Amino acid sequence: MSLNRLIILVTLVLVLGACTTEPRFNRYQVPTGQTQPGQSAVEELQGKARQALEQQAYQQAIDYLQRAIKIEPRNPHSWHYLAETYWRSGDKRRCIEMVERSFSYSSSADDLEQANQRLMEQCRQI
Amino acid sequence: MPRKAKRKKKPAAKPRNNRRYAGYLLLGALAALAIYLGYLNYLINARFEGDTWALPSRVYARALDIFPGLVLTSDQLEYELGLSSYLRVDAEPLPGQYRRLGGSLELHARAFDFSGELQPARLLQVFFDKDRVTALTDSSSGVDLSLFRLPPVIIGSYYPGNGEDRLLLSEDEVPARLVETLIAVEDRKFNQHYGIDPRAIARALLANLEAGKTVQGGSTLTQQLAKNMFLTPERSLLRKVNEAFMALLLELRFSKKTILTAYVNEVFLLQQNRIAVHGFARASRMLFRRSVEHLEAQHIALLVGMVKGPTRYNPFKAPETARQRRNLVLKIMFDQGLLQPQEFETASAAPLGIVDRLPGVNPFPAYLDLVKRQLQSSYSAEELSRRGLRVFTTFDPLVQRNLELGLERGLQRFAQPDLQAAVVVADYLNGDVQALVSDRETDYPGFNRALMAQRPIGSLIKPLLLYSLLEGELTLASKVKDEPIRIRQSDGKIWEPRNYDRELHGEMSLYQAFINSYNLPFVRLGVDGGLEALAQNLDKIKLLKHDVIYPSILLGTTAMSAYEVAQLYQVIANNGYFTPLTTIRSVSDQQHQTLERVPLESHKLFDQARMIQVQRAMIGVAESGTANYLAQRFPGRNLAGKTGTTSDARDSWFAGFSRRLLTVVWLGRDDNKPINLTGSSGALRLWSDIMEIQGFDSFKLSHDGSLEWRSINPGNGGLVQKSCTGGVLLPFPQGRLPDTRSACP
Repeated sequence: MSLNRLIILVTLVLVLGACTTEPRFNRYQVPTGQTQPGQSAVEELQGKARQALEQQAYQQAIDYLQRAIKIEPRNPHSWHYLAETYWRSGDKRRCIEMVERSFSYSSSADDLEQANQRLMEQCRQI
Repeated sequence: MPRKAKRKKKPAAKPRNNRRYAGYLLLGALAALAIYLGYLNYLINARFEGDTWALPSRVYARALDIFPGLVLTSDQLEYELGLSSYLRVDAEPLPGQYRRLGGSLELHARAFDFSGELQPARLLQVFFDKDRVTALTDSSSGVDLSLFRLPPVIIGSYYPGNGEDRLLLSEDEVPARLVETLIAVEDRKFNQHYGIDPRAIARALLANLEAGKTVQGGSTLTQQLAKNMFLTPERSLLRKVNEAFMALLLELRFSKKTILTAYVNEVFLLQQNRIAVHGFARASRMLFRRSVEHLEAQHIALLVGMVKGPTRYNPFKAPETARQRRNLVLKIMFDQGLLQPQEFETASAAPLGIVDRLPGVNPFPAYLDLVKRQLQSSYSAEELSRRGLRVFTTFDPLVQRNLELGLERGLQRFAQPDLQAAVVVADYLNGDVQALVSDRETDYPGFNRALMAQRPIGSLIKPLLLYSLLEGELTLASKVKDEPIRIRQSDGKIWEPRNYDRELHGEMSLYQAFINSYNLPFVRLGVDGGLEALAQNLDKIKLLKHDVIYPSILLGTTAMSAYEVAQLYQVIANNGYFTPLTTIRSVSDQQHQTLERVPLESHKLFDQARMIQVQRAMIGVAESGTANYLAQRFPGRNLAGKTGTTSDARDSWFAGFSRRLLTVVWLGRDDNKPINLTGSSGALRLWSDIMEIQGFDSFKLSHDGSLEWRSINPGNGGLVQKSCTGGVLLPFPQGRLPDTRSACP
């Protein structure tokens, strides 16, 4: 069994287990990380932002990413790219703040978590 | 002889002197004329070389990003298009038009300059399934799109002091047919004369003498432009002379094309309340919802006909007179060869084709006022009303519409005509203020209660107080006592707070005290150390309003506006991240150069795990506390919020949030008399009416690995089995779980 399948299985068991034992009137749910509506729109904007970033068009990248965040504000990648844009443009404060937001939406098992840690280090060195 | 000779010389000297004086006089007159012409030339220069026209600044709503999966009905999109003056048609839409095709909507989005990114006009088809967009295609290519940004709605303008409203056209943007019609109707010799047409003046003079009154004007288009731009409308010889001089100067200085373009932009065409609509571009947009390039013959004829008398030929006030005038212009166009016979017939038979009524000048006064206040730190009132700035805001017309509908429905519950309301709706994740009302009459541009009315917030302070208490040793399961308390204040007076129901409830968990909004446990905990922490936390959000901290702020005697409360709750809803509420995202000038951007901010002010505990308690308020009305009204949905009521029920508050939206509602009277409504019986009901119309996703707590979840008995805070139906699942910091066990309540 691959590691991915194992993770999915364990998550499923935990979620189902929680459902069966949860008190009746506590209806809130732990976020499940489902595909969000508008994901393709967000990815398109993230892609444009990456291109703008490569061309050092920082303001344009920020504009794209702010639109992506408006569509799906809990997407950690948009916040990460926004942090990276501020890092490249030398804005230490905003770089750190945006990485913090990305951290808050990413899970510890995520590759993004490590990328965020690296980026946070880079932000602090500005 | 010499005497004789002298005598003879004298008479000869007189004519010479006279001639000399006459010469001086002539010279003086010429000099005066030259100076005067120089002055007139200076006036012309000043207008044409500076900002020729004072242009109102336009305030735009957010641009709507349309993508598959977006929660949006076809009716909502049609409403948005209507606000942007899109015209519904049956044929293939031109830019600024749309049509219904079964369940889908085909629209031809106008071109728009997003300050650095020019988006061309585009024909699109949007497909819907119930309340969502399912697909988006480019109608021309048939290609599916993942995203399209609809140019934003103009939600209002800041007008110049003279009350003039106009959209400017450049020389190349003025349609040829409009120019030809103007010349045919107003000044057929325009391309031949040098500003004045003596024959036309003589003809008009004769006609007027015969009639004994003014029946005909002999002014050329250039003279009309001179009069409109530089002179007063009074009828005097001096004014006519000035007009003629200025017309000559204009013709000397500028090309015919420039003069015509200036005329097309300057001419007064329509009065809308206190706003004077000048220029064909703005009038065309207002009357026909069309850009000038899409005007048909009958539209051009109506507009050109209105030049002669904007009041007399106003198509709203005198539709038949306007129609006759339009058809006369069409006849002239036909006679001059500007129309083919078939087109002339069709255009003459066509209805006026104007909108049912003109759009309101500023239909969202409270929001416009908020934007203006936020702009005033960077721009003077003069700049705002003259420079033609483009202000891009976070306003969402669809949310505003739902808010207004909900407010109207909600206020009917209370049958109190003097009851006033203020509501703020914001996206707490990015700080966008999406909608705002500050009066029960939402289009009334009076006192902005949402911003200016400072009212005690009552128990709305408790979530931040709870956070402050959780910073110490307490957890949600900590036992607290609901018992009487007497506090000696700094002035020596004794303060004896009470619960709203004036009863005592004994010992319970902190969670239980919070969801029922009991005052006494919170006052007791506050004076035992929570007060200082609360003051510091309020100060972090810049909402600490007093130098001296009185214990009474524990019960929300601090006064705030609904807008400030929204900022307070933004931080709470957003896991402790402070994102300043804003209405403005960017400002650009007439040339679409960005002058200012307001970037997304996110300052981590509070601990996320602790804030999640507060949010969990606020869900409890909605599930089984003072706002359990929400659990009944929206079964199966998660919401978080807090009620607030002030002394003698003078203010009724509710602040609550869903997955994206934070909505704060205040109800009260301007004279501060009791309204006999609690937060629960007043503002909460109205809040629910708004949210029901708005629609919402359930609020979900964020995952935080530093928290452990356990079920407790809310009555005593002891741990219970997970299977206990009366237990409450609550988060606890690691290592700080309750140390007692309890029977299942």
